[in-house]
Amino acid sequence: MNDLDRTLAALADPTRRGVVELLRKKPRRAGDLAAALAMSGPAMSRHLRVLRTTGLVEEDHQGDDARVRVYRLRQEPFGALRRWLDEVEAFWTRELQAFKDYAERTRGKARR
Amino acid sequence: MSDHPARSAPAGDCATVTVFVAVAPDVAFEVFTREVDLWWKQGPRYRIAGRRRGLLHFEPGVGGRLFESFETDSGSPTFEVGRITAWEPPARLEFEWRGVNFRPNEKTVVEVRFAASREGTLVTVQHRGWSTLPTDHPARHGLVGPAFSRMIGMWWGELMSSLREHVGRSS
Repeated sequence: MNDLDRTLAALADPTRRGVVELLRKKPRRAGDLAAALAMSGPAMSRHLRVLRTTGLVEEDHQGDDARVRVYRLRQEPFGALRRWLDEVEAFWTRELQAFKDYAERTRGKARR
Repeated sequence: MSDHPARSAPAGDCATVTVFVAVAPDVAFEVFTREVDLWWKQGPRYRIAGRRRGLLHFEPGVGGRLFESFETDSGSPTFEVGRITAWEPPARLEFEWRGVNFRPNEKTVVEVRFAASREGTLVTVQHRGWSTLPTDHPARHGLVGPAFSRMIGMWWGELMSSLREHVGRSS
């Protein structure tokens, strides 16, 4: 498997997509993630382990308190996924521009 | 907001593109579906038919097909891109998307939303489900340029980067 395979495999699970969505906003503790997604601590730990081994998230200390551990997103693995989605979005960008041009030419009112 | 199609930040395995069209939502839905063959880009990079005479068609309603048919010396083969899974004019359309090298049980999903806006319609295409393809799928290897073109079933890949830059500059 290459990096994109691993990224997509990790994101195939809806709970892990939920974790990534939450971490996009800010780093969070494992307990907060479990509560936000209504999961048990052990179940969340298993998902976090998958995300950690694929390099999508990393564990870090919060501030000076070594007892408080938070999870944060790593940007690097998302690069391959971003490039892939760029290709898909470029395709639809061309098609939607063609759709817009055709719809406005045949049905549109006079443009400003 | 730009009048040109705009892309948003990635969420999961979802590609999203939005465009403003200066027609009402019901008209946009009608044109998008019933006249798809008239606006979908022509040529070998966008259609399986390539330069042959071909037709791209939505069969209206849930369970209908999006298919491309074309003429060859030996007949008129049809390629089914996918089945329609939501047909909710004027607001929403959803259909399966299979590339030419997908196995029968493999598919991605395209959802199109039509939202009234500024005396026109915001049309948003969301193409998702890439993570559901098996890890040995050809779509999951190589992944850019020609490999991507083979995956999505179109022949347009090698020009994509320069086209995208062109779109980006003109917006």
